[in-house]
Amino acid sequence: MSIKAKPAVEALTKTTYVPVEADFKLKDNAGEITIDENFAAQSFWKDVFIRYFRKASAVIGLFLIIIISVFAIIGPGMNEYTYSAQELSQKNLAPRVKALEKFGIFDGSEKMSTTTGTKTINYYIDKGLDDVEYWFGSDNFGRDIWTRTWSGARVSLIIAVAAAIIDMVIGMSYGLISGYFGGKVDMIMQRILEIVNGIPRLVIVTLLLLVLQPGMLTIIFALMLTEWVGMSRIARAEMLKLKEQEFVLASRTLGAGNFFIIFKEVLPNIIGPIITQVMFSIPTAIFTEAFLSFVGLGIPVPQCSLGSLISEGFNSFTTHPYQIIPPIVVMALLMLSFNLVADGLREALDPKMKEM
Amino acid sequence: MKKYIGKRVLTSLFTLLVILLVLFILMQLMPGSPFNDEKLNADQKAALYAKYGLDQPIVVQFFKYVGNMLKGDLGVSYNISKNTPISQLIQTRLPISIKIGGFAVSIGAVVGLLLGLVAALKHDTIWDSLATVISVIGVSVPSYVFALALSYTFGFKLGWFPMLFSQQDIFGSSVLPSISLSMFTMASIARFTRSEMLEVLGSDYMLLAESKGISGAALIFRHALRNALIPIITVLAPLIVDLMTGSLVVEKIFSIPGVGSLLVNAIQSNDYNVVISLSFIYSAMYIIIMLVVDILYGIIDPRIRLAKKGD
Amino acid sequence: MKRTKAFVAIGMASVMAFSLVGCGSSADTASTTTSTESATTGAETTAEASAEASATSSSDMNIMLETPVESLDPQQATDGTSFEVIADYTDGLMQMDADGQAIPAIAESYDLSEDGMTYTFHLREDANWSNGTPVTAADFVFAWQRAVDPEVASEYSYMLSDIGQIKNAAEIIAGEKDKSELGVTAVDEKTLQVELNVPVSYFLSLMYFPTFYPVNEEFFNSCGDTFATSPETVLANGAFVLDSYEPAATAFHLTKNADYYDADKVQLAGLNYQVIQDSQQALMSYQTGALDTTLVNGEQVDQVKDDPEFQAIGAGYLWYVTPNIAGVEELANLNIRMALTMAINRESITEDVLKDGSTPTYTAVPPQFAAGPDGSDFSKDQTAFADVCAFDADKAVEYWNAGLAELGITELTLDMVVDADDAPQKVAQVLKEQWETTLPGLTITLTIEPKKQRVQDLQDGNFELGLTRWGPDYADPMTYLGMWITNNSNNYGFWSNADYDAMIDECTTGALCTDAEGRWAKMFEAEKIVMDEAVIFPLYTQCNAEMMSSKVTGVEFHPCALNRVYKNAVKVD
Repeated sequence: MSIKAKPAVEALTKTTYVPVEADFKLKDNAGEITIDENFAAQSFWKDVFIRYFRKASAVIGLFLIIIISVFAIIGPGMNEYTYSAQELSQKNLAPRVKALEKFGIFDGSEKMSTTTGTKTINYYIDKGLDDVEYWFGSDNFGRDIWTRTWSGARVSLIIAVAAAIIDMVIGMSYGLISGYFGGKVDMIMQRILEIVNGIPRLVIVTLLLLVLQPGMLTIIFALMLTEWVGMSRIARAEMLKLKEQEFVLASRTLGAGNFFIIFKEVLPNIIGPIITQVMFSIPTAIFTEAFLSFVGLGIPVPQCSLGSLISEGFNSFTTHPYQIIPPIVVMALLMLSFNLVADGLREALDPKMKEM
Repeated sequence: MKKYIGKRVLTSLFTLLVILLVLFILMQLMPGSPFNDEKLNADQKAALYAKYGLDQPIVVQFFKYVGNMLKGDLGVSYNISKNTPISQLIQTRLPISIKIGGFAVSIGAVVGLLLGLVAALKHDTIWDSLATVISVIGVSVPSYVFALALSYTFGFKLGWFPMLFSQQDIFGSSVLPSISLSMFTMASIARFTRSEMLEVLGSDYMLLAESKGISGAALIFRHALRNALIPIITVLAPLIVDLMTGSLVVEKIFSIPGVGSLLVNAIQSNDYNVVISLSFIYSAMYIIIMLVVDILYGIIDPRIRLAKKGD
Repeated sequence: MKRTKAFVAIGMASVMAFSLVGCGSSADTASTTTSTESATTGAETTAEASAEASATSSSDMNIMLETPVESLDPQQATDGTSFEVIADYTDGLMQMDADGQAIPAIAESYDLSEDGMTYTFHLREDANWSNGTPVTAADFVFAWQRAVDPEVASEYSYMLSDIGQIKNAAEIIAGEKDKSELGVTAVDEKTLQVELNVPVSYFLSLMYFPTFYPVNEEFFNSCGDTFATSPETVLANGAFVLDSYEPAATAFHLTKNADYYDADKVQLAGLNYQVIQDSQQALMSYQTGALDTTLVNGEQVDQVKDDPEFQAIGAGYLWYVTPNIAGVEELANLNIRMALTMAINRESITEDVLKDGSTPTYTAVPPQFAAGPDGSDFSKDQTAFADVCAFDADKAVEYWNAGLAELGITELTLDMVVDADDAPQKVAQVLKEQWETTLPGLTITLTIEPKKQRVQDLQDGNFELGLTRWGPDYADPMTYLGMWITNNSNNYGFWSNADYDAMIDECTTGALCTDAEGRWAKMFEAEKIVMDEAVIFPLYTQCNAEMMSSKVTGVEFHPCALNRVYKNAVKVD
């Protein structure tokens, strides 16, 4: 409760404006309103910033996203392997980091439970590969899992962020327009939404991937197509809340057009919840992409995403479990950190805002 | 109110009809034919198309299908289970999906609610973070990995639960699939309960209740949770539809004869009638549940009803 | 005494089954006993084992299936799983022995006319349906007429027309004649006469194919539209009876048929089928003893390869790459095609990637499914076309440069369409790598599609390279060679060669119909043309890596028609 009262208090204490007598007579001074608006906006964002960084989990989330993004950029280039080059004679090698070998970890040995008993093997020694090291091990084509994990993370991040941003633009516009005009327009737009939502996503997404050339763009498009609905709901609800408020009425009285009101007046006021929703929809997009990989409609081989790596590693889950661990851990961390960031943002923007 | 409900029911029926039409058009876009392309020549394929009436214009097919549907005939499967009436397939499979989905919803809702409550009551403490982490990890690991890990640990290693679904022991063999399925619901409900509870706890009437001397469990359950529950149910509703209509992943791993894997197989083998029927059932369930929620909301919250009138 | 005899026979059968097991290098675990002596000794030991089995009570065999049954209607079914289950409870005129040869089943004996065009089958007196009515010639007539009836639109109707060459079959399918004119008649209750257009050397081996299985008309009519959708709507005349089943079930059960004419040979109390799509769940179930046999995927082979219960079973499918010869200018160039086929390291694909025992294949007709007049395998010699199909990087580059020079280009990008399944995607990735590293200037892109769409793209000529497979429908090389005649819908490359067409014609309907050896030689010539022209790039013959409990013996495996036969199987408790 005390947090909520803060912006007003700060606005009062920090103001440098000295009221003069005339102000009390002319409350509708146009210049004054402008100044006041600018000032409030600045203070608001600064406040959000402070509140966000006060929350440890949100900071950790942001930090993790940055770390993973950095690795997604430089990770694949950190050793001599490429994501697609196969070396079949070095397939299924367990993780090995020479610097850590003396501690008994990452020494390239693995325990395999066979139907006739458990055995420990070290293919590096068996095959005489003394100088070879795969930090995260190699997969069943002899490709480096380190390189693939980070290039997979790169692909997943690009897909998820792109899908989330596009669905924000589309969903937001749709929801704002639907909410603002109301009446018949709203009725028709909401029925269309109901139809889109009523058809199982799987049917839409798989059909789309069947009809279009499989690839990153198609997947982004497919994800966007199913995710924008949630965004439009939020935008519409916010619009319904705001459109009867005085500032909208004022703007309309001053002769502003519908679209000016929607995008210039209302939009800046609801950007907080929208950004929060984007943060929440990124992990959903990552996850949906993983599901598509499982159904065999993910990113085309030999390219990889976190999802396709997991579904590849899944086949070796009981044989070579180290193959599935890196992509799963990276994905779990990404999901976790995006959720933490979203939570943090939501509370920073408005501690009482409820998720739609 | 009656007029509002009547209007909503009518628009919902219309929406369903449009969905059916859209599904029909989508089927036309599907590449490939439902019949075995490799072994059939063009004449045979033409004969099969004629046999099932697929050679007719889509409008004719559509109205025929709607007509048959009103008589309870959903057509036959072309290749998942050749010539089997789809109503028969659904009759045996949908109840299983509903059962497992039902278990999953219950587990997810109860655990999610508890996690959310803990997080809200111990807001900004280690418990809050812990509850968040648990619920997020539940959704961060793809369900197939989670399902296999559960099966490996509790089915294979410990032998507590059956690894595969069996008609003889539906309850026991539903435990692992239901848990793997409930993860997403659990996380969503936990997150939502947390934010709802935070809002309710900060509201004026809670302050009032507190000042009246109500405290402890009564305060939380009778006053706070009850008010938070209504919006939670709206979030739960679409999740119920998702779970009840089966999950490909969990069905595939636990060999469950449900409708989720049926739909995916049907899409991949161009079994048009199966795709249309199952999608339609999904849509109908979704729209009915949304309708019920809308109407309930209208009854509970007069503001919504009034807003509708005002439009 | 009578009983012992029967057991010896089973023992023999089971040993012969093992001889078929031989598939790839990983099969060395199981007995690949082909010599007569070891077979005899093996027979004795197995016979002892089965004698022991009869002492203890036999139990159900638990079998894992990868996919559910698509149809139990013998004239509608098209997939291996359905065929296997239908054959569990239905006998045709003939059945398969362990070697895949046709031996009498419902037909006790048959006569063949002088001209080789009329078969007369004499049905056994003691063959009955599970509702007590006898199996009659009329049941076969009804079933076969169903198979060609345009209204039924059976997908395997061509087994009666193009392949079986039964009189009037093709005309009936085309709608030109009534189904009653089909060249098959019930002379009396137990005598069936079949008339053919031309002599068909492998006709008897078609008789164990489920499309030719009998259906009782009266029972069929009593079921209405629900025929073959539940235990109540199927009739059994075979070793087992279906007692629990629903359409697309993930688990179902069959019990031994006490009224089966050969019932005293059937050792298993029943068959318990379980569909498991996830191979890791399947192996875990197998390890707990819930399954007696299961498939394992290539990744799991590392886990099981030291296990004596592990074996690789030939699945018959030939996987190959089909170039679009007519549609892509660069692929019309023979040198380019030769370069591509010579650059493939097939050993590496099977050894390093698939690991399931699949065998590298260098012939257009895969080995181990078609035995000739002298009993030898048509494609036994995998080096027969070594000059045009082998792994030779240097030669491949030579061909490549020659081809590029002819086309006047230095770089080439080709796209390959691939099924969205696990194994094809793996193979495609290795092919891409092998081609790109061996042939300078070549770039391969992969288009991954669901199978239905891939097949359509191939048939429409909407592709450059296609990774595809073909399983034999009957035990004759023609099941492959017939594909590459002009305008065949499976001739994806739209390749056309008049000489080849003439040769195939001669072998199917022409002069060589009755001359088994001549036909065999001619087919080999035809295959040589396909290989010389690099019409397809054969890759490997698929094997299934399986676990088979040591308690179970005598399951017979076949690459075509019926993949697994349990009639003679024994399970020791």
